[in-house]
Amino acid sequence: MSDIAFILIVFFLVCASIQPDKGRSQQIPRSEEKDQKDEQSQNPEVKITRDRVFLNGNIVKSEDFLARIRILLAEKTTEADRVVVVKSREDTTYAFWIKITDYIEQAGGIVTLQLEEEREVKID
Amino acid sequence: MKIPRKKYEASVPSMAMGDIAFLLLIFFVILARAQDDSHLQWQPAKTELLDQAKFSKAGVVVDVDNKTYLNGQEIGVGQLAVELDAILGDAPVGERTVLLKVHKDATAVYFEPIIEAVSEVGGDLIHILEKHHE
Repeated sequence: MSDIAFILIVFFLVCASIQPDKGRSQQIPRSEEKDQKDEQSQNPEVKITRDRVFLNGNIVKSEDFLARIRILLAEKTTEADRVVVVKSREDTTYAFWIKITDYIEQAGGIVTLQLEEEREVKID
Repeated sequence: MKIPRKKYEASVPSMAMGDIAFLLLIFFVILARAQDDSHLQWQPAKTELLDQAKFSKAGVVVDVDNKTYLNGQEIGVGQLAVELDAILGDAPVGERTVLLKVHKDATAVYFEPIIEAVSEVGGDLIHILEKHHE
């Protein structure tokens, strides 16, 4: 009897641990290298720091960000126009980054990252 | 005088057979899971909108120590694009899903190069997150 009970416990433990993952898909344009000399982009630019967000160079409260980016993207009709360039500072946390990119996607924007070439990637 | 041979009957205990098969099944299930990334420690970031993640060939994890893993194996960020390309191969669009599991406190210097690598190989990125409860 105890054998059966033990096997049942193991069975339910294994079943409980196999839970399907949930998440958010993100449409990311294929990466390409661009020179700094390229013509000035007309797409909205979002800069994310550890706890602040800048929209086209102006600081925006994170709770107001969704409304502001919605207004900005409302007049954009083509997919290319709805691309939002996201720059992050090295110390931007993933949780904050997800929150802001969530808002951009809710507003109908397509997130594209702009990475700096000179950035050093720390490897422990 | 002829001594009659004793006949021993060898029988398979059919009742125990089921138990053994079931234990073997569980053993292999656990063994298979030990090769994925379930042993890695990370806490998902929270979001309000969540979808069911699709089946994926590749999963990238950034754990609490900011180490990067591809399908459970530690990997350098510089090699990630090459390895992802090898895994995804010529899979058609829709079957190039890459699950990204990043610890919520990891910083951009660790997770942005991963997103760039996925973008480079044309992967469909899915951020694994947790439902935000008000």
